[in-house]
Amino acid sequence: MQAFVSISLVYLGIYALSAWSLNLQYGYAGIINFGWIVFQAIGAYIAGVTALGTSSGSFQTYILGARLPFPLPLLMGTLAGGVLALVLGALILTRRIRPDFQAVILLVVSIIAAQVVIATPSIFDGSNGLSNIPKPFNGALHLSDQGYQWFYVGWMAVLCIIVFAGLQWLCRTSWGRALKAVREDETLAAYSGINVPLLRVVVFVIGGAIAGFSGALLAEFLGTWSPDAWNFVETFVVFVAVYVGGRGNHVGALLGAFLVPVVFGVMPSFLPEFGYPGLSANLEWIVIALLWLVTFYLRPAGILPERRYVAKRGGASSSASMRPTTPSPAPPTMDEPRTAS
Amino acid sequence: MSLYLEAVGFGVVAAASIAIGAMGFTLQFGLTNVLNIGYGSIMSLGGLVAYACHAAGMSIWLGLAIGGLSASAMTLLVAKTILSVFARRGAGLFEMAMITFGVSLIIEYGIASATQNNTYSLFLAVEHAMTLGPFHFTKVQLVLVGLAIAVFVVLDLFLRLTKLGLALRATAIDPDLARASGIQTNRIVTAAWLMSGFLCGLAGGVFTINILTVNAFTGDTLLSLVIVSALLGTAGSVRGAVLAALVIGIATQVASVAGASGYDSAVAYGFLALVLLARPKTLQGELVTDKAQITV
Repeated sequence: MQAFVSISLVYLGIYALSAWSLNLQYGYAGIINFGWIVFQAIGAYIAGVTALGTSSGSFQTYILGARLPFPLPLLMGTLAGGVLALVLGALILTRRIRPDFQAVILLVVSIIAAQVVIATPSIFDGSNGLSNIPKPFNGALHLSDQGYQWFYVGWMAVLCIIVFAGLQWLCRTSWGRALKAVREDETLAAYSGINVPLLRVVVFVIGGAIAGFSGALLAEFLGTWSPDAWNFVETFVVFVAVYVGGRGNHVGALLGAFLVPVVFGVMPSFLPEFGYPGLSANLEWIVIALLWLVTFYLRPAGILPERRYVAKRGGASSSASMRPTTPSPAPPTMDEPRTAS
Repeated sequence: MSLYLEAVGFGVVAAASIAIGAMGFTLQFGLTNVLNIGYGSIMSLGGLVAYACHAAGMSIWLGLAIGGLSASAMTLLVAKTILSVFARRGAGLFEMAMITFGVSLIIEYGIASATQNNTYSLFLAVEHAMTLGPFHFTKVQLVLVGLAIAVFVVLDLFLRLTKLGLALRATAIDPDLARASGIQTNRIVTAAWLMSGFLCGLAGGVFTINILTVNAFTGDTLLSLVIVSALLGTAGSVRGAVLAALVIGIATQVASVAGASGYDSAVAYGFLALVLLARPKTLQGELVTDKAQITV
């Protein structure tokens, strides 16, 4: 029972970071990062290899490798997420592509990455993945397994609070408002003087760094990381979490992270097996997909929609009035003037 | 060298299923502007139904037809109950794609649950390969290629010569004008869903016969190649889709023979990414559309 609670809480923290990262990229800036999982993956891998030491003489083969002390692997993982986001963002986000194509391109990147890693064991040990990743503070604290899990819960809570506070502050600045402007009307934002491609890449990098951070934390918690952990469908789960909880609202993203991946993803794994092996996993996916469709039908903006507020001249927000925003249909297109009939 | 030529031969056979799928996808995409990721799951369905019919004793060719019909029905069901509902509410292009992704998950994991995650092997009578110059084909493979050619010819003539075909093309180009000209666009869209669904199931069945195995996720591997081919040709062009399918089919087979067999799907996906990156924003002739066009 204790394990159920502690593991669920750790995953809540991980998925909260994931949801915040995606919410920043998609909910605030409108970037459809459908390959999101690849950023979490690279954070996990880099954190792993920078903690494991070089691979010669080990049963695992991977590139790089250093035995860096805590918290450096964590930072390296975060950095890796950011760097990958920089590279991909510069290639993909700096040109105008229709949104569903953009989504598929990023999705394809995550699929190709998984296949290349599996087919090339010299990079990150192929489908076996990395194992024996050292857990931070484990040697110093001498806790039992369950005790260490509770410690990790506390550790995650601290980190999540810091990230949450940072994101809330960031999104209330004029930079945050610029994100929303770009999301709503890119052309108008550009005319207002916002450097749209640069903004997009910066948001992408920040989101990617947070994703890498979450990956590093998860790898350090689990002690292992393999391609099974970053199937491209995981991105869909995080998207559903953001959609259900509330796009453009970090508290909503947290709620979504709880409702979707934790309640429907992590908790069912503690249920006793029924049917044939693997049935509950299949049903989980069906439930998550149905949850997404139903929520999008009934409450398209999510449970906690984006807050509307009026910014005082020159900066921070004043009153935050909760007016749920539903996505309105596209404004009527301007038809050519017709001669009055 | 002959290995590469043989790979070209395999590529042509592989292109049969890709081409049929791409023709169906082009029909859907050209008309509705929705990137239907659920297409893959329905290809799995078509393949599984074809397998089931064969396992129950019917001829595999009859199984193909029944697979196509069931895929057709499923496509129409999904389109009318799910896609139309969200399109009418003004869902954006990405949201529609997400919705089709959700539909794909429900169908695939639903099938997986019903089949207990089994993978089925198709047992056809063993035949000797015939030699045509440097290529070796079995009779079944030749029939598949012939089927793809026949489908292409029929579809092309249908779109060019019949009234329904012309109405389809008109609706794809400009739905409002088509409606104003008296075309009953909701019937046209229904017909398009039915036809493209049939082609989808047929493609899944042909793919199953080609690789001789099928499970709930078979359609996924085919889907990326289908989307690449459909988008590589010009919008709504069936001929372009078939030509692209041929190119893609041969390219992936040659790549896997060239020693990169673990990467052949990565190559196909890479193609897809490049095509999407290079594709201009406008896809409906010169109209810039940012909404799904499922006209109801």
